[in-house]
Amino acid sequence: MPADLSSELKSALAQRILVLDGAMGTTIRGYELTEPDARGDRFKENHEDLLNNGDILSLTRPDVIADIHKRFYEAGSDICETNTFSGTVLAQSEFFVPDPRKTGGIKNPEFFDKEVIANQMLQDLVWELNVESVKLAKQEADKISNATGRRRYVAGAIGPLTVSLTNVVDPDDTAFRAVTFDQVKDTYAHQIEALLSADCDILMVETIFDALNAKAALVAIKESGTKAPVIISAAVGRGGETMISAQKVEALWNTFAHVDPLAIGLNCSLGPDLMEPFLNDLSKVASSHISCYPNAGLPNPLAPTGFDLLPEHMADYASDFCEKGYLNLIGGCCGNTPEHIAAIAKAVEGKTPRAIPTLS
Amino acid sequence: MPTIPRLLRLSGTEAYNHTPDKNFLMIGERTNVAGSPRFRKLIQQGKLEDALEVARQQVENGANVIDICFDDGLIDGKAMMARFLDLIQAEPDIQAVPIMVDSSKWEIIEEGLKHLQGKGIVNSISLKEGEDAFRKNAAHVLNYGAAVVVMAFDEQGQAATYDDKCRICKRAYDILVNEVGFPPEDIIFDPNILTVATGIEEHNNYALDFINATKWIKENLPFAKVSGGVSNISFSFRGNNAVREAMHSAFLYHATQAGMDMGIVNAGMLEVYDEIPKNLLTAVEDVLLNKDDGATERLLDLAEEFKGQGAKKLTEDLTWREATVEKRLEHALLKGIDKFIVEDTTEALEKYEKPLTVIEGPLMDGMGIVGDLFGAGKMFLPQVVKSARVMKKSVAYLEPFMEKEREIRIIKLAKELQTEQSDLSDEDARREAEKANSNGKVIMATVKGDVHDIGKNIVGVVLTCNGFDVVDMGVMVPCDKILDAVEEHNADVIGLSGLITPSLDEMITVAKEAEKRGFGKRSIPILIGGATTSAAHTAIKISEHYSGPLVHVLDASRSVPVTTSLLSKENRQEFIDAIAEKYEKLRTSHATGPKKETISLDKARENAPAINWDDYNPPVPEFTGTRVIKSQSLRELANYIDWTPFFHTWELRGVWDEEKKELKTRNAEGAKVAKQLYEDAQVLLEKIITEKKFTANGIYGFFPAHRDGDDIVLPDHDTTFHTLRQQQKKGSGKANFALSDYVGQQNDHLGGFVIGIHGADEWAASLREAHDVDDAIMVQALADRLAEAFAELLHHRARISWGIERSGQFTKTELIHEKYQGIRPAPGYPSQPDHTEKPALFKLLNAEEEINVELTESCAMHPGSAVCGLYFSHPESHYFMISDLQKDQIEDYAKRKGITLDEAEKWLGPWLGY
Repeated sequence: MPADLSSELKSALAQRILVLDGAMGTTIRGYELTEPDARGDRFKENHEDLLNNGDILSLTRPDVIADIHKRFYEAGSDICETNTFSGTVLAQSEFFVPDPRKTGGIKNPEFFDKEVIANQMLQDLVWELNVESVKLAKQEADKISNATGRRRYVAGAIGPLTVSLTNVVDPDDTAFRAVTFDQVKDTYAHQIEALLSADCDILMVETIFDALNAKAALVAIKESGTKAPVIISAAVGRGGETMISAQKVEALWNTFAHVDPLAIGLNCSLGPDLMEPFLNDLSKVASSHISCYPNAGLPNPLAPTGFDLLPEHMADYASDFCEKGYLNLIGGCCGNTPEHIAAIAKAVEGKTPRAIPTLS
Repeated sequence: MPTIPRLLRLSGTEAYNHTPDKNFLMIGERTNVAGSPRFRKLIQQGKLEDALEVARQQVENGANVIDICFDDGLIDGKAMMARFLDLIQAEPDIQAVPIMVDSSKWEIIEEGLKHLQGKGIVNSISLKEGEDAFRKNAAHVLNYGAAVVVMAFDEQGQAATYDDKCRICKRAYDILVNEVGFPPEDIIFDPNILTVATGIEEHNNYALDFINATKWIKENLPFAKVSGGVSNISFSFRGNNAVREAMHSAFLYHATQAGMDMGIVNAGMLEVYDEIPKNLLTAVEDVLLNKDDGATERLLDLAEEFKGQGAKKLTEDLTWREATVEKRLEHALLKGIDKFIVEDTTEALEKYEKPLTVIEGPLMDGMGIVGDLFGAGKMFLPQVVKSARVMKKSVAYLEPFMEKEREIRIIKLAKELQTEQSDLSDEDARREAEKANSNGKVIMATVKGDVHDIGKNIVGVVLTCNGFDVVDMGVMVPCDKILDAVEEHNADVIGLSGLITPSLDEMITVAKEAEKRGFGKRSIPILIGGATTSAAHTAIKISEHYSGPLVHVLDASRSVPVTTSLLSKENRQEFIDAIAEKYEKLRTSHATGPKKETISLDKARENAPAINWDDYNPPVPEFTGTRVIKSQSLRELANYIDWTPFFHTWELRGVWDEEKKELKTRNAEGAKVAKQLYEDAQVLLEKIITEKKFTANGIYGFFPAHRDGDDIVLPDHDTTFHTLRQQQKKGSGKANFALSDYVGQQNDHLGGFVIGIHGADEWAASLREAHDVDDAIMVQALADRLAEAFAELLHHRARISWGIERSGQFTKTELIHEKYQGIRPAPGYPSQPDHTEKPALFKLLNAEEEINVELTESCAMHPGSAVCGLYFSHPESHYFMISDLQKDQIEDYAKRKGITLDEAEKWLGPWLGY
C-alpha cells in the first residue's frame, strides 16, 4: 500500500469529481448466466443454488467479472468496487450451510459459531473469493491506467449482511439477536484482511442498512491498523433513515466521523430524486468528502434493467447534484449499467467538486 | 472555504449536537442502579419492561442523554448492559437519544459499546491505573467512536483541590489529544463534585474548587467539556429534598456560568433558580461559595424549616387519555405505548361488543395509519415493530373472548353438520367444525435463490402479533418445498418474499406450480412481497399464472389488513374483487404505457406457446354450421347479469354483492345511491321484460378450422381469420401469444357468435327527446348488461354443445369469474384489437340477415347493445393483451389480409409500437 494514497486521492478529489462504478448485479444479469455457469465444476454438487450468489462468479466466471470491471473503467469509472458485496462467511453461509430453520432449528449465535465461523472450508473459500476479486479488479484497473495514463483505483466492497444486530426478530424477546457484535466484527475483520492482503486501494463499507453492523465493520478496520482510505455509504429509506436500524443521516455522520473517512455518502434503496434531500443534509454536516451512487430510480420489475431511469436521466441528476455542490464522488447502484456510468461520467466532467468544510 | 463548528456531536437514531444555544446538556440518571434504588430493584427483580419505562420517562422529561449503569454486586453487569441496550433498540423513542455507558469496569463499558448503534459517551476512564491502561482504553473508545468522560483521578487518587483537578485534567488532555489522537471536543472532564456542608472544614471549598477548575479547563484545554454528578454536592442533606433541590439549582447556576457543559441530573430534583425562597438561596449560596465559616451552620438551621417539602412529581403527558377510545387506541399504536392498551381494549370491546369488530375496526384503522406513515417515510421499521407489539397485547386480551365465541360457533356448527349428516360422530363433527373455523395459517418463505429475509421476518413478527399462525420456512426455499408445506399444514395463505430481481421469476414459477396443484381453484391466496416486487409486476407478470387471489403486499404493516381481509368470511370476496379490478387497471395502463422492449415477428413466432397437440384430441361440437336464437327469454338473461359494471356507468366504484344486494364500497354515500339505482333498475327491468320492450336475438355456430401460421382457416367456408402476435420481449418461460395458437392443425373447430338487443336505442332516443335523460341512460345501461348477459349465456350453451362443460357445473359467481374452459375474444378487444375482423365473422354467420345486427362502415355494431366474438375451446386458451406491434408484423398482416400497409396502420394505430 503506497503510504501517500490517501493524499493522492484527496488531491484528485480537490480538482474533480471522481466517478464510481455501477451495479454489479444488474450488469451480471445482462450476461444471462445459468446455474451451471455459477457452479462451474468446483461447486457442481453444492446443495444450494448459486446463481444469485454474485460473489462466487469471481471464482467460477472470472471472465465475466473482469469484463464488467473493464466496461465500467472504460465507461469512465475512477474507482471500481470488487465483486465482494457478500464476501463474508456470514453472508456466504447462506449458500453453503443448510438453513437450520428448515429442520426446525433457529439461527442464533451458537449456530453461527458452530456451523459457520468454525467452518474452515467456508473461511478459506471467502478468503480466496476476496483475494481473487481484488486481483480481477486490479488487473483491469492497471490495464486501463497504463492505456490512458490516468490512475484508476480498486475499492474493496464490504456489504451488509442478512442478519442484523439491531432488528427485533422475536417479539417475545426483543433483546434476542441471531448474531453477536463480535461475530459480525470478526467476520468483517476476516474479509478486510483478505482484501488488504491482495492490495486493494480503498475499503468501502457500503449499503449500510444497519448502523451497528456497519460499526462492527469499521471497528474491525480500525483494529486492523490499516491506513487505507475508507468510504462509508448508507442505504436510507424515504424518511432518510438507515433502512433497518432507522438512524438518520446526520446521526450516522456523528456516529462515524471518528473514522475520518475519505468520503461518506448514500447509495442504493432510492433513486437520485428521493435521495437528494438526505444527500443535502449530509453534505451540510459532514467534514469529509461526499459520495453518492443512487439506484437508477425505484425498482420497476417491468423495465429491462429492473429500474426506471435511463442513462440520460441519471446524467441529468448527476449534473444537477454537482451544480448544487453536494458531491465529490458519484456512481450508480442497482439498475446502473456501464452505459449509465458513461453518461454520468460525461455529465460530471469539468464540474466543480464540493469543497470540504474545515472544523473550527 | 466552508467551515463546520467543532462541536461535541452525539447520536442515537437522531443526532444531538451540543451547539452553544443548548446551554446545558442534561444527562438522565434514573437508569443508574447506583443512583436510583427503584431502578436497581426493577433490574434485580427482572422487571425490564418497567425499567425501560424509567428510561422512556427520562427522555420524555427532557434528558438529552441517558446514563445507564449496572454496577451492583447482585447484578451481572456485563450481561445486563448487553440485554438492556438491545431492549432499547426496540424502543424508538428511547434509542433516539445518545446513551452514556456508565461503569467502573472496562469490560462492561466495552460490552455497552458493542450494543450502541449511535455515538454515545463512555463514563468513564481515568489515570487511576496509570498512563498505559488509560491510553489503551482511550484508543478502544476511539475505535468504537464514542465521547469519553475522564474522571480527575490519577495514580494517587481523586483530585479534590483546585490545583490537583487542573493538573490531572491537563495531563489527561495532553495524552488524549497528542498521543491517542482523540478529538478534543469529545473529551469531557469530570473534575469531581464532592459533598459540601459535611462539617469537615476541608470540604467547605469543594464546590468552589469545582467551579474554578471548570473555568480553568474551559480556558486552557481547547474544546474540552466539563461534566459532573450534581447530586453529590448535597449528600449531607439527604432526606431534605427542598434544600437539596435548591443546592442543585444554585450550584448548577454558578457552575454553568463558569462553563460546565453538562451534568448527571435528576430532573425531578431541581428547583427553578428564581423560585428558590430568598432566605434559602442566600444560605445555600453562602455554603457553595464558601462565604464564611458559619455558612454550614446557618444552612443546617434553616434546613429544618424546609423538611418534608419539595420533590416535585414528574408527570407524563397524559392529555391523549382524554380522547375517544378509538383515538386512544390509535395513539397507543402510533406511539407504541402499551401501558393502557388493555384498559382501552376493554372499553372498545364494551362499545363494539364483538372482539373481531374491535380488531377489524379501530385496531386495523390504527395499523393502517402506521402503514401510511411508514410508506411516506414518516415512521421507521423499529416503530412499526413496536406498534405491532402493542397490537399483540390488545389482541392477546381479546383472544379469550374470541375463543369463547369460537367455542360457541364450533358447537353450533358441529350440531348443524350432524343434522345434515346424521351418521357423523360427535368427535368427527367437532373436528370438521374446528377445521372450518380454524385461525388463519400462513406459510412464508423467501423463494429459491434468494437469501434475504429481514423483511420477511418482520412480516412474520407482525402477523404473529396479530394472531395468525405463521410457518416460516426460511430462505432459499425450493418451490416444491413451499407447496408441500402448504398441503401439510393445510395453510390458508402463502407468502412469498424476495429482494433480488431474479426472485421475481421464481415467484412466477411458484405461482404456476401452485396452480398445477390446484391451489388456485381452491382459492388459496398468494401474497407477494419484497423490495423489487410491485403491484404492477404482480398484476402483469404473475397473476396470469394463478387463478386464485394473488396480492402484492407493499410492506410489513400492510400484511395484517391484507391477510385479515383474505381470511375474513364477510370481506373476502369484496377484497379479492377490488384487487382484481385494481390489477386490471394496472394491466391496461401498462399495455398503453411507455414503449417496451420488443422482438421481431420471427422471434415472436419462435416463442409461440409450446402446446402439445400430439396428445390432444380436440373436442367435437354436437353440430356444425349455425343456430339462431330469436327472442331469447329476457327473464332468463336477467339472471346472468353481472351488476358490478352497471354501476360504473354512474361512476360508482365497488363490487356488487349479489346475495346482500348491496354495493361494497368504502363510500357509504355511494352504497346508498347504488341501492336506489338498483331498485330503480329492477322496476325498469321488470317493465322491459313484461312489456317486451327489448328483443334479444343471437346466432352462434361451429366450423371445422385449422391453424395456418398466425391465421385460422375455415376451409369449408372460404373464410380466414387473421390474428396478431405479441411482440413484447418476454422473460424466460413466457410465450408470445396469438389467438391462432389455440387452434390445432387438424380435426379442430372454431366457433363464432353475434348477439344484439333490439329496441333500446329507439326507446332511449325517444326518452331523450322527452328530456328524460336519466331514464335514457338507464335503458341503455340495462340493454348493455343484457347484451353481456346474453353473450355469457350463449357462451355457456356453446361450451356445453362443444362438450367442454357440463350443465350446472359452475355457479353464477364462478361464471362471472370465468372459471370455465375456453374463451370468447371479440375483434377490437385486447387479444385481437383489429375491428376489421368483424365483417368476416358477420358474413360467416350471416348475422345481418338472420338476427338483424349490422356493421357500420367503421365496424361498429348496430344496435348499440351487441356483442360478437370467436369461440376457442382449448384448455390453455386465455385472454392476453396485444400491444407494441412492430412494422414487420404489420407488413406481414396487411399482406395476409390483402389490405395496404396504410390501412392496417390506420386500424391498429393505438397498438403500434413504432
